[in-house]
Amino acid sequence: MALEGVRILDFTRLGFGAQATLICGCLGAEVIRVESSTRPDPVRVMPPYVPDPGDKGEGFGAATLANATSAASANRGGIFYKYNTGGKRSITVDARHPEGLALLKELVKVSDVVTESFAAGTLERWGLGYDVLSTLRPDIVYVSMCGFGHVGPDRAHVTMGPTAQALTGLTFMVGLPGRPPAGWTFSYLDHVGGYLGALAILAGLAHRQRTGEGQHIDVSQLEPATALSGALLLDAQVNSRPSRREDFPMGNRRTHPPSAPGGAYRAAGEDRWVVVSCRTEAHWEALVEVMGEPEWANDPKFATITERVEHADELDRHIEEWTSERDRYDVMHQLQAAGVPAGAVQDSADRLERDPQLEARRHFTMLGNSEVAPLPLEGLPVHMSATPAHTGGRIRRGPPCLGEDNGPVLAETLGLSAQDVAKLESDGALR
Amino acid sequence: MTQSSGALDGVKVLELADSSAEYCGRLLAGLGADVVKVEPPEGAPSREVGPFAGDEPGPNRSLAFWADNVGKRSVVTSDDDDVLSLCEAADVMVHTLRAPEARSRGLDFESLAECNARLVVCALTPFGQTGPWADYQADDLVLMALGGSMAACGYAPGRDGAYDTPPLACHGEQAWRTASTYAAIAVCAALLWRDRPGSGSRRGQFIDVSAHECSASMTEWHLMAYLCSGQVHKRGPHPTLQGADGRQVAALTPDFLGPHVFSRMLEMLEGEGVAGPLSEPEFADPVHRAANFKEVWRALKRLAEIHSADEIYRLGQSAGLPWGVIRAPDEVLDDPHLRARGHFVELEHPEQPVPVSYPGAPFLAHGSPWVMNRRPPLLGEHTEEVRSEWAPHAASRR
Repeated sequence: MALEGVRILDFTRLGFGAQATLICGCLGAEVIRVESSTRPDPVRVMPPYVPDPGDKGEGFGAATLANATSAASANRGGIFYKYNTGGKRSITVDARHPEGLALLKELVKVSDVVTESFAAGTLERWGLGYDVLSTLRPDIVYVSMCGFGHVGPDRAHVTMGPTAQALTGLTFMVGLPGRPPAGWTFSYLDHVGGYLGALAILAGLAHRQRTGEGQHIDVSQLEPATALSGALLLDAQVNSRPSRREDFPMGNRRTHPPSAPGGAYRAAGEDRWVVVSCRTEAHWEALVEVMGEPEWANDPKFATITERVEHADELDRHIEEWTSERDRYDVMHQLQAAGVPAGAVQDSADRLERDPQLEARRHFTMLGNSEVAPLPLEGLPVHMSATPAHTGGRIRRGPPCLGEDNGPVLAETLGLSAQDVAKLESDGALR
Repeated sequence: MTQSSGALDGVKVLELADSSAEYCGRLLAGLGADVVKVEPPEGAPSREVGPFAGDEPGPNRSLAFWADNVGKRSVVTSDDDDVLSLCEAADVMVHTLRAPEARSRGLDFESLAECNARLVVCALTPFGQTGPWADYQADDLVLMALGGSMAACGYAPGRDGAYDTPPLACHGEQAWRTASTYAAIAVCAALLWRDRPGSGSRRGQFIDVSAHECSASMTEWHLMAYLCSGQVHKRGPHPTLQGADGRQVAALTPDFLGPHVFSRMLEMLEGEGVAGPLSEPEFADPVHRAANFKEVWRALKRLAEIHSADEIYRLGQSAGLPWGVIRAPDEVLDDPHLRARGHFVELEHPEQPVPVSYPGAPFLAHGSPWVMNRRPPLLGEHTEEVRSEWAPHAASRR
């Protein structure tokens, strides 16, 4: 596998950092999560919980850590299963215990990469700052990932996905005119930050491969996002046209390049929609033909894309009259057969249960662990011919139970015997 | 040649791509690779996409092109033999060709590998090279729909419980960008593997990126929520506070992070004179708070009435709350934190009288800094230069 032989000592938690190391795990790196049984990764203990066969299933609801830590297990948090595929392994080490810290230092010496996503200054306080790491191993690639990064006037600021989305314009770009932005119901920037975190790890390894040098790479959740708005930053400067204006954002309407008809249209069924997006005259003509050449389509106000954009409201009403009586997938496939871009608006159930393309691509892999029966989990959505990625990582395994690899990891990396491990446990270093 | 000490210093990337994959080349250029964009004589399609500098169309005036092609050089050719000769010298080729077109042009992986066994070829297409939808058409809107992001974003239902507004797709081509970012990741991984010391016989490979798969995997907890509960989590806005200046703040109250979160928030609200009933002892109990969340929210709204959105942001952050002012995208240019980190890079352009700021490094790599010293290329600006640099090496690669 592409990253075979790379060992990552992984102090990440939650989404952002864990996304980065999951990608590396799927590429074949050995990812050793350093965890705590007394302060578990919040996503291990937050709902939604993977149901116990005996449960009715709790579903999603108001979450408190108090509720969550009283859960029977630290291995049922659903979000943990999203961010911790890639064959990650789990050890529990108390960095605040002198023997735990000493152990971690030994592990650094035999690792290629150290990753973490704590608040800036946390690892330093434990005695594992970059100055220490690079003394232990001069070519260590240390990638820190946290909301505002490690330097800058706001480095003590706290973020979650929605925070970064707000600050970088991603929240703003989801909305209808005249209303506050709708934003996202999920942390898209946990993904984006994680992708750039993975790229940082790979960049660090590439630089080391070429020069023999390690480094500290400081990844924030803001900087990966600033280029996601394309031309808007340039338009504001070059044309003095700020993106905070009446006609932006316009929901699903697109102007650069224009799409008309373009948007989500109601389909048959409750809250079912289909996207149709005509960018060219050829698309429009094909759409009109599929719709059976309705009279209204001959109106000159729909003759060219410019005019269709101008009369978009009226155009959309006509299109929706047609789509609203039809199944969203029928519309999609009929239009696609005619070469028109169209797609059903799919939700989670659709992707898991009725997306033949995801299935053909083997997008989901059934993986579980000693506590959780196999679930359809995701890995790296990229297909490499010589070094295929695998959702279960090098070891073809599901997300790890907390601390399940203490013995094996310490034996393989440091040659510790079962007795050594037992002593560390009884001394309280492996909590 | 570009001087750089970037992580991909010395790596040659040939980009034969429409707008869907240009962000990949931008990232690879930022990592220090020499990224050459091959364009037809009329220019890449993105050069025709607005907005334009001065609102005047022109192949060198497209701001959409500038945004995603900063850092690259441009070669114009309409001859695929030219492309092949450049491939002989390249380390990486990023393209957006579907299998039939690649084959008919002699740019399928087998042909490229014959020309250069060490070439890493990355094809980014809407649905990938295989599968029942491989021939389907998609733009970003279609990908956001099929991938699930759209279903998860939008306003709340109306009073009768039915939605009167559609699911919404974020602007900015997020599905293509995610696919491009994954493509860059895979390219880097392939190069690392190929160039590992002691593995001299390792070759290039074919990387097949489906934007649909990438788009389907970026909805964070939604798939798990369904697997765990059997219910689809529906779209709706997360609550925002409106400041006195009319701008909004995303004001999260993550009780699940522990009781200290509320106590610091209470202190801040009391300091601002708006705490009201929250000061009462029963609000220290998270269960009571959850049941009376309206009162918490009312206190926050009282705060918002007397402060601008930026002030609310900073008050919240001073109390350790993960609040963020909801900015329009270009408003990041004024962020003092990003400025202090040197995030924006100014580059001149012949079509502009003053330099323009671009978003720069997505991370601070102290040992191998992000490279951004090339403005977006004029059409065909580097044709001769690249040919003389890359083509002479072709013979020695065989």
